Amino acid sequence: MCTANDGSPVRLKRRPIAESVANLDRLMDLDKGRMSRDLFWDRDIYEQELERIFARCWLFVGHESQIPKAGDYVSTYMGEDNVLIVRQKDGSIKGFLNTCPHRGNKVCFADLGNARQFVCNYHGWAFGIDGGLKGMHASEAYEETGMDKAEHGLHPVAHIDSYRGLIFATLDPQAPTLAEYLGDMRHYLDAIFDMDEGGTEFVGGCVKSVIQCNWKYASENFVGDILHAGWTHDSGAKAMVGGSVAEVHKFPDQSYQVNFNGHGWEFNQDIVGNCATLGEKDLLKYLYVLQPKVAERHDDFRSRMIGAISSCTLFPNTSFLPGQNTFRTWHPRGPGQIELHTWTFVNKNAPQEIKDKWRKGTMMTFSPSGVFEMDDGENWEYSTRSNAGYVTRQQDLYLGLGQNSKLDTDLPGNVYRGQINEANQRAFYQRWLDLMKSESWKKVPQRDIPKMKEAL
Amino acid sequence: MSEPVFVMKKNELEAGKVRKFDLCGNAIAVYNLNGTFYATQDNCTHATASLSEGDIVDDECIACPVHDGTFHIPTGQPMSFPCEHAIRTYKVIDQGDAVMVDFDQEADEAADAI
Ligand code: FES
Ligand code: FES
Ligand SMILES: [Fe+2]
Repeated sequence: MCTANDGSPVRLKRRPIAESVANLDRLMDLDKGRMSRDLFWDRDIYEQELERIFARCWLFVGHESQIPKAGDYVSTYMGEDNVLIVRQKDGSIKGFLNTCPHRGNKVCFADLGNARQFVCNYHGWAFGIDGGLKGMHASEAYEETGMDKAEHGLHPVAHIDSYRGLIFATLDPQAPTLAEYLGDMRHYLDAIFDMDEGGTEFVGGCVKSVIQCNWKYASENFVGDILHAGWTHDSGAKAMVGGSVAEVHKFPDQSYQVNFNGHGWEFNQDIVGNCATLGEKDLLKYLYVLQPKVAERHDDFRSRMIGAISSCTLFPNTSFLPGQNTFRTWHPRGPGQIELHTWTFVNKNAPQEIKDKWRKGTMMTFSPSGVFEMDDGENWEYSTRSNAGYVTRQQDLYLGLGQNSKLDTDLPGNVYRGQINEANQRAFYQRWLDLMKSESWKKVPQRDIPKMKEAL
Repeated sequence: MSEPVFVMKKNELEAGKVRKFDLCGNAIAVYNLNGTFYATQDNCTHATASLSEGDIVDDECIACPVHDGTFHIPTGQPMSFPCEHAIRTYKVIDQGDAVMVDFDQEADEAADAI
């Protein structure tokens, strides 16, 4: 359910839109599957991404289960902007930049917790959980010389909203609604985040690591790259389950890529393929028992996605893996680095032993020392680092797999035949280019026509 | 000795809660600590803040809503940073189901503490 919370006045200031990097169109020719490497090393492009991607899009900022009670908060990032996401007394959620409007110090140093107020370390300005300035050290001095506290609260995000427990925020007052932004992806998100009536929760804490790669290598991998799994993760799969990754390229009629507004999901219909790599039979049993109920709740097609070989990225930088149950955000840190934040998500109604097994499973596979995470990180680091070469970086890259594989179907979103495909990656970069070229949300072309209704 | 002033009926304030009253030119905070009533000045001594907007913590302390400094409610003593100066207490006189306050006297606990 969506719980919009747009009550607070937006007073985020911005520079007039900066002059764009020239000739962005030269960066890709997606019909031919070609793109430039400039996207992965150029500092000016990166700065423009901070403005036109990260200060504009709806970004994942937390899960409702992390902040159940009034005053509960998480500290996270929107691009490189540090924000606090805080549960209010009336149950709504607000978000603020984690910076003091006095002299700019950071006001909250913890990653999460419960607060009655946020007090700045520097000169003792104190902010309520609603972001308002409640008082100052030496308040008499301010009162004598005149200062209106109402004008100096924490800077609120422009909009905050949630979908199926996932909280998103945007720093752009002109952004479309979250429902419009996610569009038809909501149809598929329901298979995972509305698998049963209890919804999902995050268990355990946030595991963080730094990878020396451009953020888009991580996002494009999860948006549609199952191709790498059979090759890159072969040894990991053998270690975990004693066999190779399934040869999904041999069954293109039983798998798909779906995308909408740059979000993408590659998947097959094997119900448990991702989950199987955790090597925990009880988890497979849990999913097999649940599957017919999901078929009733949603439909047979989506019930076969609940733990299948699959991956998803919500544009621009949040991804998850059904069945392996890792949820992650790739925070950009310059063109050549990301700070990766990961959590384990589970169905709230699952038995405790099942939740524990998923937690253990994500640690074995998708933590900094996990068998699959390490394989991926190395690839993305060298894909990024090779562009230090002056001549190397002038060479195009290829992204042309699966041309002409679009299916004519009633399924929501743009649907493609075969999950071994680069259709989602192309859609991801098309959306990236559209946003980078547009001076405002109004100018972003709406390429994808939703089949789902706006509000659910 | 002046006349105690009527503040409220006891059942108007739940245990563990605090409420502000403006009486005889004094802003006071009245507390119900498990059935025993206390009264103190409402202003924090650190900076501008109304203590009745804070939370009761550790059973018998009031946490200031601004910087989270604390005072011991029965004695008015400052308990934690940044509070340094005690808050004024007022004697609460128990009269059946009414809470009465004597603005000329400190609470007994505060008087004992001095
Ligand atoms: S910088 Fe925060 S109080 Fe001065
Ligand atoms: S104003 Fe009460 S502790 Fe600072
Ligand atoms: Fe991978």
